[in-house]
Amino acid sequence: MTPPPDAPKGTSADAGGSIRDRLRGPEPATPDAAGGSTGSGLSDGDFRQTDSAAALAASGRTDQQYSSSAGTEARDELTHPRKTDLDPAEAKRAERKVAGLFLLSFVSVLAFCVWYLVGEFRFGEENQPLFTPVLGVLLALALGGVGAGTVLWAKTLMVDEEAVQERHPFGSPDDERAATAEALKQGLDDAGVKRRPLLLSTLAVGAGSLALLPLPFALGMGRWQHKERELASTAWRAGMRLYRVNGQPVRLGDLQVGSVESVFPDVELPQLRADSPVLLIRMRPQEFTPLPGKEGYDYQGHIAYSSICTHLGCPVKLYEQQTHHLLCPCHQSTFDASRGAEVIFGPAARPLPQLAISVDEEGYFIATGDFDEPIGPSYWERDSR
Amino acid sequence: MTSPTTTRPSRAGTLAGQAANGTGRWVDDRLGSSNFVRRSLNKVFPDHWSFMLGEVALYSFIILLLSGTYLAFFYTPSLAEVTYEGSYTPLLGQPMSEAYHSTLDIAFDVKGGLVMRQIHHWAALLFVVAIVVHLARVFFTGAFRKPREINWVIGVLLLILGILEGFAGYSLPDDLLSGTGLRIAWSIMLAIPVVGTWVAFLFFGAEYPGTEFLDRLYIAHVFIVPLVLLGLITVHMMLIWYQKHTQFAGPGRTETNVVGSRLYPAYAAKAGGFFFLVFAVLAAMGGLFQINPIWLYGPYNPSQVTAGSQPDWYVGWLDGATRLMPGIELYLGPYTVPLNIIVPAVVIPGLIFTAMMAYPWLEQRFTGDRDYHNILDRPRDTPTRTAIGAMSIAFYMILWISGGNDVIASIFQISVNSTTYAGRVGLLVVPPLVYVITKRICIGMQKSDEELLHHGIESGTIRRLPSGEFVEETVPLPVPYRIALTRVEPSELGGGHKQLANGEPSDSAPHGSGHDDTQWVELDKPQKQGFLRPRKSGSPRPESTPAGELEGSGQQ
Repeated sequence: MTPPPDAPKGTSADAGGSIRDRLRGPEPATPDAAGGSTGSGLSDGDFRQTDSAAALAASGRTDQQYSSSAGTEARDELTHPRKTDLDPAEAKRAERKVAGLFLLSFVSVLAFCVWYLVGEFRFGEENQPLFTPVLGVLLALALGGVGAGTVLWAKTLMVDEEAVQERHPFGSPDDERAATAEALKQGLDDAGVKRRPLLLSTLAVGAGSLALLPLPFALGMGRWQHKERELASTAWRAGMRLYRVNGQPVRLGDLQVGSVESVFPDVELPQLRADSPVLLIRMRPQEFTPLPGKEGYDYQGHIAYSSICTHLGCPVKLYEQQTHHLLCPCHQSTFDASRGAEVIFGPAARPLPQLAISVDEEGYFIATGDFDEPIGPSYWERDSR
Repeated sequence: MTSPTTTRPSRAGTLAGQAANGTGRWVDDRLGSSNFVRRSLNKVFPDHWSFMLGEVALYSFIILLLSGTYLAFFYTPSLAEVTYEGSYTPLLGQPMSEAYHSTLDIAFDVKGGLVMRQIHHWAALLFVVAIVVHLARVFFTGAFRKPREINWVIGVLLLILGILEGFAGYSLPDDLLSGTGLRIAWSIMLAIPVVGTWVAFLFFGAEYPGTEFLDRLYIAHVFIVPLVLLGLITVHMMLIWYQKHTQFAGPGRTETNVVGSRLYPAYAAKAGGFFFLVFAVLAAMGGLFQINPIWLYGPYNPSQVTAGSQPDWYVGWLDGATRLMPGIELYLGPYTVPLNIIVPAVVIPGLIFTAMMAYPWLEQRFTGDRDYHNILDRPRDTPTRTAIGAMSIAFYMILWISGGNDVIASIFQISVNSTTYAGRVGLLVVPPLVYVITKRICIGMQKSDEELLHHGIESGTIRRLPSGEFVEETVPLPVPYRIALTRVEPSELGGGHKQLANGEPSDSAPHGSGHDDTQWVELDKPQKQGFLRPRKSGSPRPESTPAGELEGSGQQ
């Protein structure tokens, strides 16, 4: 876009003035006025990169270009024709590029369909690993061809305009506001609110009470009545054996000193009993110091802790043999297994609850009861004294 | 509206034109829509690369709707136990939930299902990324100011909902990772004082995991949250349309106009093409980059977890906050207040999101600036706001990095405990430092702008004066740059440019009608080219501008 031949070649005041004139046109907001400004050839490409002085200095062309009169400076700045505007051959090239991109989409869609139909996609088939990547790339080419082509078309060949549109004021004039307020008030008066205040107050009571309606439904969404008991108890019962994940009960002597085993109660769908996993650790009896009140919960150096972290309920699974540290992989709470699983680091505030265990007459480990405190994270009703 | 570019209309083109005319007449006969359509086509949109960030979010959302609908055809939200019989042999015969089974089927037994699922997941990540970056752009340029506070609040709500929606989404497959995340969510709900157990049971129906949560999560993920998102996005777009877009300062751009290209055809073509480009990038990512390979994690088992388990990136900061918080619980008689959970997971995000939503009003209160603003700020021109933003980002980044402190510790072979301590100290020390440094940088950049405005650009030409002194000639800053820096039109400069020395005095500068609050400033005396000595200079913007008050001390 070149400036109109009769563009004023004056000072930048003129140049600025001409912009102002456009802005101040009789009806600048109408489409025609906005359209009329397209010929001015403003392009913002040139003055957009004004972020740093360094960039300005680095542009290098400033001296020559702007040492003339300020008026032409402004014009030069505001006029930024694209190559495709000046050179028909360049425009033709751009047109071919765009058309090529559109055709790329067409070809890619065909290839996509063929690959989708013939590609091997089942696990184990020879070319299965290729199926998804090729599908994605063809999809990308199909979509990208149309996308890039359209953007290129708009950027190189469509009218490069700088249109101006006036904003409409947001706030209404005061008299408008007053009239609206008056109309609202008038409506209330027409409804007789003032004369019959009883209706308004009873409406407030009646309509307000509607807000209570969802409550019973919400209450039906949870099994509230037993929630505290549910939270406080697990599936462990006295005499219940400690089962490995493969269903085998653990026997005294199965565990070496320094080893650890995940055990579960004997219940159906143990994977759904999220509160019951227990970590059975064996260490030398003299290495273990129980917490006060938990003496006798261990059995010959075997100690059973709830493996549900007292912080946010992740399974505490990482056991360091040498230090007897138990680490929660989620938030790095660290417990000392040799001292009743006391917290030694991290965001947890309480030790892991310990399950009292014993051995039955057949030599299998059993729980002597449920945990004596709620396992897992804290909650309001939990009595932690 | 004629199209002058077409010189040789083809026969097909003529037919299409007639068809379009016919349809247009039919519609207009019934809706009288011509005027509205014409006005819409001529709507002017300002152009800047940073304005496309919101577009990326919008397009990601559309792609999420499309890909998610396809996934919903195959996914089963059920915890019923089944035995795996699909084509992924390593898991053959394993017991698992139907949800996990159906997600595996999408990966291995639905043709093209894996690419769709991966596009969906990448699009979800990009959605939140785009919202966050867009929000930062809006913040740092002051685009949230009057009259756009409503859209700012909607934007923050969209961010919160986007995070929740993403979390619900990656919890659906019922794999090991999602189960761990859900249990943490359960624990956080449980920890809320007084009502925690009620809230947790309301959402899960029973003690974790229960049997109902997956159905509830599913309906939330595919219906409730997307519906709210869609509604808010619609309002967001309508407000942008009605209030018109903000623009950066530049020649001819005022508080009362919009300068850019019209919707039709160029802007629409660019925006439409950009949608396909975003889709193309996501399709390529969905095909080439594996994400969330649930078949490697295995089905959920409450007693198992993998080391280094990480949530999706947008939850990482909350994870980091819970890692940094020391283990403190408050015991009020028989009741427990788990501060170690509610402070990082409820209080901090609650405060952050509340502060974000309240920010436009906070700034109005502290600067006293209750004017309309359609011209964007350059971040350096509002050092305090920019410093607050940078400080918040620093705070966020430390939380976010701490969310991966175990990974960092294992990569760099340092103790996990030291990374936690470093995070705790950093969280308190780094943000204030960043605040101060950012503010100084902004003020420094303003000074360098002043240099340019007052002294011009170094020309490289050295002149010797009669006195024997050598000086370098400078060239005045080109007008468009001046306008971008000062927001002052050349005609209003009054001085400051040698060619304008006899221009109109600045006080006669025509003000726009209505609520025009463009700051017309009078620059210092005209510079004599080539005779520039260091001198104390004021800001290119007057002290009385509202933003100037915000800048406060730095300006003198």
